[in-house]
Amino acid sequence: MKKTILSAALVLSTGLIFAQKKTTTSAIISFDATTSLDKLPKAENKTVIASLDTRTGKVAFEATVKNFAFSNPRIQEHFNNAGWMDSDQFPTAVFKGEITNLTAVNFAKDGTYSAVVKGELTMHGVTKPVVTTAAVTISGKTINAVADFNVKVADYGIEGPAIGAGKVSKDPKISVTAEF
Amino acid sequence: MNKTYKKWMIAVFVMILAGSFGVWHVFTEKFTDTADLKSDYAVNVPDFINEFKTDINQANKKYAEKIIVVSGIVSEVKAAYTTVNIIMKESGGDAYIIFAFQQQHLAEARQLKEGDRIAIKGSCSGALYSEILETESISFKRCTVEK
Repeated sequence: MKKTILSAALVLSTGLIFAQKKTTTSAIISFDATTSLDKLPKAENKTVIASLDTRTGKVAFEATVKNFAFSNPRIQEHFNNAGWMDSDQFPTAVFKGEITNLTAVNFAKDGTYSAVVKGELTMHGVTKPVVTTAAVTISGKTINAVADFNVKVADYGIEGPAIGAGKVSKDPKISVTAEF
Repeated sequence: MNKTYKKWMIAVFVMILAGSFGVWHVFTEKFTDTADLKSDYAVNVPDFINEFKTDINQANKKYAEKIIVVSGIVSEVKAAYTTVNIIMKESGGDAYIIFAFQQQHLAEARQLKEGDRIAIKGSCSGALYSEILETESISFKRCTVEK
């Protein structure tokens, strides 16, 4: 009986130690829509939920849109209002995807690997495919992932006079950093 | 140039100046330090989380973009890159509140430890139900430790 309990405990603890799905409550997503005419439209969300399954390569991110913090109150208001992200109606931005070259990333060995991430980004009620490359750095038990990509806001139904006037970028840069 | 014309020119000039100042002010304005803001609500962690778990849409409408002081116990100090977030969790569950701090208040956030009983003031961004974590996550931005 003691051997059975000990064996069960060993299996359980081994599973926990080598847990394949890693999560974090504090990934960071930056949004930079600045132009030569206006340096204000950029924000950072430091409370993004993210997951990475090291066995399947599946990745996911969930961000509360209102938690993108701008330095300027007026830009903050514009970003969230019905003419832009409409965060009252679409409060969350979500990415679901996977690392398509998973064999190129050795999660058991320290080093930096280039991971191709393909998935779908849903924001403003619209879902579009996204492909990007992430730098995945393994250091002991810690996994750091960094990626940048651009999105065309018009593809997500986001348009406005400020874009037409060149004050907000048509394809802002999204930067993602996550530590698992 | 007669006097009436001169008066009109001065009036137009003053209006342009006032308008320009107004636009300049709006677009160079920064958020006030949260420590100097009056709070809209003062809540405790269990009751606050329970409101979102009961009706997330209703709670989001009530609390989004409001300045709220939340009292509770630090469950986790989450250091990430150059920043730090503080997490308060519900007792016996997974739902949590996460606080992201204003730059000038990061140092005081870094002093906090798990188990500290504190109050944090910030701008509530509302909650989402996380499919990843299978629980409610309530986010705050521009936070400060309430003294």
